Amino acid sequence: MRALGFFWFAVLLLLPVLALLLLPPFGQRMVILIGIYALMGIGYQLVFGYLGGLNLAQGALFGVGAYAVALMAPALGTLALPLAPVVAALLAATVAVPMLRLQSHYFALSTLALAALIDLVAVHAEGLTGGANGLAGFGGALPGGSLLLVLVWLCVVTATLLQAHLFHSRFGPPARLLREAPLVAATLGIDGGRWRVVAFVAGAALAGLAGAFSATLSGVVSPDVTGFPVMILCLTSVVLGGSRHPMGALLGATLAVCLPELLRDLQGAWLLAYAVATLVVVRWAPEGMASAIDRWRGGTVPVAAVPSVPGPLDPIGGSRRLVLANVSKHFGGVAALSDVSFEIAQGEVVGLVGPNGSGKTTLLNVVSGLERADGGSISLDERRLDRLPAHAIARAGVGRTFQTLALPDDTRGADIVRAVASGAAFLLLDEPAAGATDRERAELAVLIGGLREAGRGVLIVDHDMELLTRVCDRLVCLDRGAVIARGTPGAVRADPRVRASFLGLEGVAA
Amino acid sequence: MAYALVALGFVLALNAAGAVNFAHGDLVVLGGAVAVFAGLWTGLPGPLLLPFVALVLGAVGILAARVAIQPLAGRPPEATFVATIALAAIIEQGLTVGMGAAPRTAPSIAGSGAIDLGGVTLGRQPLAIVVVGIVLIAAVWFLLERTQTGRRMRAVSSDSHMARAVGIPAGRYVMLSLALAGALAGIAGALLGHQFLVAPTQGAGHMLKAYIAVAVGGWGSVPGAVLGALGIGFFETFVAAAIGDAWATAALYVAVLLMLVLRPQGLFGEPVGRRA
Repeated sequence: MRALGFFWFAVLLLLPVLALLLLPPFGQRMVILIGIYALMGIGYQLVFGYLGGLNLAQGALFGVGAYAVALMAPALGTLALPLAPVVAALLAATVAVPMLRLQSHYFALSTLALAALIDLVAVHAEGLTGGANGLAGFGGALPGGSLLLVLVWLCVVTATLLQAHLFHSRFGPPARLLREAPLVAATLGIDGGRWRVVAFVAGAALAGLAGAFSATLSGVVSPDVTGFPVMILCLTSVVLGGSRHPMGALLGATLAVCLPELLRDLQGAWLLAYAVATLVVVRWAPEGMASAIDRWRGGTVPVAAVPSVPGPLDPIGGSRRLVLANVSKHFGGVAALSDVSFEIAQGEVVGLVGPNGSGKTTLLNVVSGLERADGGSISLDERRLDRLPAHAIARAGVGRTFQTLALPDDTRGADIVRAVASGAAFLLLDEPAAGATDRERAELAVLIGGLREAGRGVLIVDHDMELLTRVCDRLVCLDRGAVIARGTPGAVRADPRVRASFLGLEGVAA
Repeated sequence: MAYALVALGFVLALNAAGAVNFAHGDLVVLGGAVAVFAGLWTGLPGPLLLPFVALVLGAVGILAARVAIQPLAGRPPEATFVATIALAAIIEQGLTVGMGAAPRTAPSIAGSGAIDLGGVTLGRQPLAIVVVGIVLIAAVWFLLERTQTGRRMRAVSSDSHMARAVGIPAGRYVMLSLALAGALAGIAGALLGHQFLVAPTQGAGHMLKAYIAVAVGGWGSVPGAVLGALGIGFFETFVAAAIGDAWATAALYVAVLLMLVLRPQGLFGEPVGRRA
């Protein structure tokens, strides 16, 4: 309840209670419908709102739930109601696993194809679904009236509270990272694919439940429930309400159900007005109406907690080594890395230097799994890392930071803190001193010293020779993808080949 | 062949604007509607209506991008996703309100009836569509590959920052690409509108086919999109002959899902890799 706030909690409970006590059957029916659309919307928020996935199958899954009830109710009575979401979830699960590895535009296409397929079956599989005429007369044993209102709203309240708790407390920060900086999330060990599968299936179950209630309410099903208009209604109402607000789906559903009544005179044009409103909201109030209401009430918009500087680190025992052997990588005809070999032990700080374009960031990408090496091996003790996906490498104990900030409200160093907090034994730091003030540089040196004391292994890429000389045990110098020197900082800096490759930068680096 | 025009417009807009325009299918329907009403009001024959449709839809294409795509360029993909879907709904509802839900017939461009070609009977309208399609695709190819304007359009589409850096006014060429995309969509709609009628709800179907064509042909590849569309056409024709129209479409969707599982980069692969 804390995640929801007293105001919204009151709204959530008062709406059904008042409807039960005060409204005539027609009004109660509308409130049931609001609950139904809210359920579908909450399910939609899981993938679309919180994880940023472009899902277009929610409407069709709603239809699957509706048809499931229509087909099962004559035989199973009320049992059909809890079973329908299971059917929808199973269907989603069978197509989810391959679908959710895909990049955004392919994901959208696969959900679109799934939805179109479901709709086609609904229209043409006349033996099963009654074709264009649909099915009717199955509602005998199913609840109606006030009982249905109570049932639907019990589900709505539960779903809203659960969703508020999960995504605004526990899963909020990782979901946000996954949505806004998926590469960073992967390097912190967050398995985006698995999150999306779970969210998609859970969302499908909610859609199926909503569809089941809808069939119960109306007593008939037809291909209208699997068509694209339902999907558009779901999407627009969630966006209007606020796709990341715990009450967004409910607010959007209220609008979707009440607006046609209020704009009766406009008849068909209300949908037009509704679509225009959605466009306006996307451009000028993207957080949606619920957040706008929060702002108007004077509440502060909760800002994601920015991680603070880590305190004393827990030491990590063991004598693990990160070993790179003959690592190569080319892009087309260009050899970004050729035959790179070195190793880092725990408690060691190694600096990676070299002119721009020498392959330093590529090397970090390859080790952390964001790119695949074309040759050679990368191992953590006995375990080969080079074929694993990025999140698995992170879980094995290799963390990294990036040159640019991951999130808009990150402070400098936030990504280092996140990487350290992930508990990784080895840390790859990509230009942590770029653009830093003298004081920040000093703090960085202290932090790296602390990492060494706590038994972490650190690989730092940077141009600041002075800093690296201070903090590193060893340096490795890359030039055009190959290692040209290695050894103590003093030795490497004096090496004539290194000097030659840095020609022109001597005055700055020294 | 008309689908190839739709897919061509779709991929041009995709490359130029950097985002999927979910309203593209509704631009096709809009083109058909413009052909219907222009034909009714002016009584001009089919072929003369095409340039008019192209102009109107070119302007609409630019407007659509200005309203729903370009202002959201800096935001995450969900924003353009929602905005273009909202735009699609606006066009569809606008058409429903304006012309009613009942399908209308667009003027034909070659008259009805058939021609005998070497013993094979071909309908005049389908034949005309194929001819117009080939001419347009060839013209677009010529524009893109052999003219300075086309080269600049391609440069801006593949890397607008670099294009600006070498002095190309990127905004103008983006608009040109989007206008061309709209025009192609409109012409396709006018061509399809005689045989398949024009109804406001057709937009989603056109959009899905174009999306599939681009995914099959390699995301962002212009020839891939055209080939993908032709492939879809052949697939549907042959499979429909065996199991009927509806199930042919279902088979298409299943095939697409399988392809996305097994070879997501399409039959020809994505032309551009992704930097980490």
